[in-house]
Amino acid sequence: MATYEVFLKKDGKDEFRHAGALDAANDELALVMARESYIRRAEGNKVWIVNRENLIVGDDDFVGPNADKPHRHHDGSAVAARRKAIRESDS
Amino acid sequence: MSLPNEALREFLLAFADDEHLMGQQHTEWIGVAPFLEEDLALASIGQDELGHAVMLYELVCELDGVEPTDEAIDALAYGRGADEYRSCRLVEFATVDWAEALARHWIYDMVEGRRWSFLEDSSYQPLADAAVRASREESYHRRHAEALVNGLLNDPMAQQRLAAAFASLMPMIGGLCASGPWEADIVEAGIASAPTAAIVPELSRFITERFGVELPAGFMAKPDPQTNNDRTQRSEDFAPLMARMREVLDLDLTAQW
Repeated sequence: MATYEVFLKKDGKDEFRHAGALDAANDELALVMARESYIRRAEGNKVWIVNRENLIVGDDDFVGPNADKPHRHHDGSAVAARRKAIRESDS
Repeated sequence: MSLPNEALREFLLAFADDEHLMGQQHTEWIGVAPFLEEDLALASIGQDELGHAVMLYELVCELDGVEPTDEAIDALAYGRGADEYRSCRLVEFATVDWAEALARHWIYDMVEGRRWSFLEDSSYQPLADAAVRASREESYHRRHAEALVNGLLNDPMAQQRLAAAFASLMPMIGGLCASGPWEADIVEAGIASAPTAAIVPELSRFITERFGVELPAGFMAKPDPQTNNDRTQRSEDFAPLMARMREVLDLDLTAQW
């Protein structure tokens, strides 16, 4: 058995979104099982399935350092404070 | 065109009752199929078959001059005496063996797909409309059955179990494919383009190709001892199946649903 990730897309401009996963013995079975497990109530108009073995996965160390860069997450408060100060000194 | 109403009613009931009981049998695998995905798939296919049964029971209501309300359809589906059903032995057959359930799904949907295809150009327009709709679903049902069977045939033990399942179902295939005595009128009136039994050569070939099993020569003429291949007789498995379906209904016959 292999694990497959299932992606669905609705009609229109929506992108494919991850719907879940399933186990199947081969690609064809994965496709027919995905149809009943995830789309039997017309949750999407298109389906992609991907064998998890074919995913290119970045490990935690590869992604981890980006979790500690607060300087990239400015919330606009410094700019807002400066603009407020300018407004008040102008008036 | 005047419809041969009596023959048409029998013909519709034979197909509707097959769909109804097959749907019920498939849905009974929910929770106990070999793996979760198949639980959902077989029960969902069963629901499709129940939907086909509803379309056909609606047409029976119209023939009877009854409005096809939920109550009228329930009365046909659950309320007739056993001798008024026209189901075949294969869909009544009780099994807890997954190989038999899968082999039956494969056989039934192969034949069902062809039965609907004989109706797509029906002179009886409501039936032609139903056939177009059902056929779209059937191509998926066949794909599901084929995918499972193809996967399993790679495994020697699974192959043996499937072959044994086919052997046990073999005597019931004739009843599924046998044309009822009403079918001559149905084909004559252009309601179906061919009698059900026209499926047999193709089905035999498919079974041999896929499973290496030969249907015994003249198997159609060798009737199942329980039902005599005659859709007017019920097998021993019918009553318990109907009792399971009516279990809640029978708790209180006066309740309004």
